[in-house]
Amino acid sequence: MNAPRTTSVVVVGLGNPGRGDDGVGPAVAARVGELLGDDGGLVRVVGHEDPVELLETWAGADLAVVVDAVRTGGEPGTVLVLEAGGDAEPLTEEPWGGPARGGTHAFGLAAAVELARVLDRLPSRVAVVGVEAAGWAAGAALSAPVAAAVPRAVATVLELLSEEGGC
Amino acid sequence: MTHRLTEGTQVLQVDTLARVEGEGAMRVEVRDGEVTDVELRIYEPPRFFEAFLRGRAWTEPPDITARICGICPVAYQMSSCLAIEAACGVTVPEEIRLMRRLLYCGEWLESHALHIFFLHAPDFLGYQSAIEMARDHRELVERGLRLKKAGNALMTLVGGRAVHPVNVRVGGFYRLPTRSELAALRPALEQGLDEALQTVALVSTFDVPEMEQPYEYLSLRSEHGYPLESGSVVTTGGSAFPVAEFEGHVTEEHVAHSNALHARLHDGDPYVVGPLARYALCSDQLSPLAQEAARAAGLGGECRNPFRSIVVRAVELVHAFDEALRIIGGWNGAPGPAVPVPARAGEGHGATEAPRGLLFHRYRIDDDGTILEAQIVPPTSQNQASIEADLRAFVQPRLHLSHDELTRQCEQAIRNYDPCISCATHFLDLRVDES
Repeated sequence: MNAPRTTSVVVVGLGNPGRGDDGVGPAVAARVGELLGDDGGLVRVVGHEDPVELLETWAGADLAVVVDAVRTGGEPGTVLVLEAGGDAEPLTEEPWGGPARGGTHAFGLAAAVELARVLDRLPSRVAVVGVEAAGWAAGAALSAPVAAAVPRAVATVLELLSEEGGC
Repeated sequence: MTHRLTEGTQVLQVDTLARVEGEGAMRVEVRDGEVTDVELRIYEPPRFFEAFLRGRAWTEPPDITARICGICPVAYQMSSCLAIEAACGVTVPEEIRLMRRLLYCGEWLESHALHIFFLHAPDFLGYQSAIEMARDHRELVERGLRLKKAGNALMTLVGGRAVHPVNVRVGGFYRLPTRSELAALRPALEQGLDEALQTVALVSTFDVPEMEQPYEYLSLRSEHGYPLESGSVVTTGGSAFPVAEFEGHVTEEHVAHSNALHARLHDGDPYVVGPLARYALCSDQLSPLAQEAARAAGLGGECRNPFRSIVVRAVELVHAFDEALRIIGGWNGAPGPAVPVPARAGEGHGATEAPRGLLFHRYRIDDDGTILEAQIVPPTSQNQASIEADLRAFVQPRLHLSHDELTRQCEQAIRNYDPCISCATHFLDLRVDES
């Protein structure tokens, strides 16, 4: 039995499930939601396609875990974690879905994080979990390596939540 | 951005055209001081979805096509519903039409607020991005977030969630909001209306390059007011025809540099859809407040400078807030959330006004409801030829500008159309090749 959670957490799966590996964020978030069940409202699991929504979604959260497809040139299915909140280094645009970059977002994750930083709307801790994507074809399912990486990404999210206490 | 010289040919290249929804490529070629070629390359997901839809059930297009775009899913849902209902010989009751119009207002609010404040305003105020702009104009960005949030609230209540609404179905909705749920939105919408009016006043002061578009404008015009969820097609050239005749008046042609089709009117000229077209053809149907805001902004009866599209978008924000409040204020409930749409063999057409312009759908279905053929013509593909023509006209008298400045202004010119090209390549390369 885990200790009861005392911090407010939001898990956000970013991406479009209709666009190949761009759907990995929502897929991971959905699985995390299934595993956590009802957590008394302290953990919210949501899916988004518009990173600008993050500024509202993570309002009041102590920890935000954002899962998104990423393109760094690494092996598809590789799971990466980057701290983006508080005093962390700014996210670089290219691999993290900047405008018209690694995702299908007009205003990318990196832009949303940095805008939140300027507006003092960034949670004290933001952990970005990236899954290296292979393709973004319209109407396609997750590629095999990315689908195989979903359990590892889910485990990574759960580990991040447990670090914050209670899960 | 990179800047390099290669064997006498100067190449300016911007690896990504930022603040455009999606991907594509743009190339401008200049030879001996003359713009010789302009190519906009767009890779369109609707073509994939058309194939994907064949063999699916007639009830599925609203959910499937909503996935094409995270910014305008309601447009895809509404056009597909209209087309399927037309094929099945069903007209939805007035209450359902009104609730669709209300949902559509939410999408316009979300999309226009995103474009005005986060994607386009930085161009006019001299910033590389909304992040830089926020350092100096915090309140402006906060206002954009509030307006977008009001749209989200409307989408969440009527559509079931803020992105990719799940409450829409052929024949209507799964559930209709209650009067009290709708009334609870009023304060945010009223504040939004005030702030939208302030936005019109602000963006009307932006300096814009001189430019006049000669193209024909095309939009829906509806007996139910400024066009959103219904109407037939009109153009500034005097054409008027039902949506079912759309493909008889518009020709889609393959061009070598793009796997998207270019739409042209049958006389071969490019045409424009979107805010400027709607305004030119239907400004008399804007709400009185929106009309007053447009007058105060100096828009006149028709706006032909694409750089002032940001002003028209702001006027449409005013109208969307006003219209949402009007519908909520008059809402008396409905007999049911949806009407049955039994399958029958046939063909149906549907068109609605996405934030970026007219979105056309056509479906042919079998007697058991199986989709035999699907055709989708999104607004950005209709605007492609005009964007290229704009670039050609815009670049020629500005060749004296530095490459960096010219490229920046070209990007801004493309953003005038808020192009939604969220699709396959993930990069919009903009190159100006000069020899």
